[in-house]
Amino acid sequence: MNTSVLLLAAAMVTAHPSSAFAQASGSAPESAAATAAAPPAAQDDDPDRDVNLAQPDFSVITLPTTLRVARHKSAFRITHRFGRPLGAGDFGDLAGDLFGLDNGAVIGLEYRFGLFRGAQVGVHRTSNKAVQFFGQYDIKNQRDGFPVGIAAYVSAEGTNNFRDSYSPGLGLLVSREIGDRAALYLEPFWVNNTNELPNELVDDNNTVIVGVGARLRVRPSVYALLEAAPRLSGYDPGVGHISFGVEKRAGGHAFQLNFSNGFATTLAEVARGGFNHDDWYIGFNISRKFY
Amino acid sequence: MPRIASALVTIALTSLVATGSGCDEQLSDLTGPTPNLTPTLTSIQNDIFSAADASGRVACTGCHTNVGRMPLAGLNLVGGTAHAALVDRSSVAKPGAILVVPGDPDNSYLIQKLEGAAGIVGQRMPRTSGPFLTPGQVAVIRRWIALGARND
Repeated sequence: MNTSVLLLAAAMVTAHPSSAFAQASGSAPESAAATAAAPPAAQDDDPDRDVNLAQPDFSVITLPTTLRVARHKSAFRITHRFGRPLGAGDFGDLAGDLFGLDNGAVIGLEYRFGLFRGAQVGVHRTSNKAVQFFGQYDIKNQRDGFPVGIAAYVSAEGTNNFRDSYSPGLGLLVSREIGDRAALYLEPFWVNNTNELPNELVDDNNTVIVGVGARLRVRPSVYALLEAAPRLSGYDPGVGHISFGVEKRAGGHAFQLNFSNGFATTLAEVARGGFNHDDWYIGFNISRKFY
Repeated sequence: MPRIASALVTIALTSLVATGSGCDEQLSDLTGPTPNLTPTLTSIQNDIFSAADASGRVACTGCHTNVGRMPLAGLNLVGGTAHAALVDRSSVAKPGAILVVPGDPDNSYLIQKLEGAAGIVGQRMPRTSGPFLTPGQVAVIRRWIALGARND
């Protein structure tokens, strides 16, 4: 099994040499010199480098979007889910804990890279030692005239630094951009081995979910977000994942404040759902494109 | 789709299938001192009722046997008799409690005695004050009951 996992990981990280660089800010003479020695103009004409106002980032909150990573470019994201339910105690208690800052958190670090146009790979690692490798391939894109965006999504996740309890997943991402104001998502996923007990002890070991999401640009650079992932079949502990939030974009950065009924930041965690509908947890995502 | 994309997709999907086929947690990792334990009566009989294990847990049939003695609490767990002695049978020590309720491990007195649940009469089993069954071993017995407590 470890050999197969390594083969999958090798397939997903096979790439040309990285040329990631931060968004330029000033220093015109250096830019001119760099431009003079730059590769042919075709690279700079990559439309995937342009900001997509309806779909500016690679995740809604946890669910993926169909936004393409520009070829040979990369992006980084940090996720944070505070461990204190907002409803525990009164407001004074909550404020005294700085809305959960004092109570520990599940943190995730994520990096993704554009292999070639329409194809991206990445890795997400949580402070619970879950590691998720993922890949996404653009099948149809609304910017190319198709009515919706469609992408294939594959992931392989393992707990304990990818040493235990593997959960591969397959999904189809369907998006619909509404002008430059909004984007809607419908994303069925099948996730294997979501039940952490052995097969012999459980009735269901896989989960089928359908992710639904929406992103609405309420101000020029402010978005409202909502996502949910009800379970259609299989292992379904707790309740379906639900999360909502608000996001502010500034340059190449995005800061998102969100509220979720669990700590899910990987696909298998989303499939396992939230704890209940009474406990909600504050969190944030910070993302940065390196282009 | 470019050739490299097709190759990567093929590799990714093949690896995914291969990974998926070997993804599941191993039951033997969960059952600790009895790695061969499975949720069948035969296995529970051989690995739990009739055998001690590496943790030092004593066999149930040390006391619950009709060989050379009267079975403790009238419960004979010797091979071939355990099923009839447990399933849908009332406890002698706690009238009204059913030792094994097929399909309902939570309300099976056997599980309550093995876990030392509140409300049991007498001591947690085994009554040597430990080692007790591990959570994994109890989970297997629970699963046997949940599946109908078959005489398998």
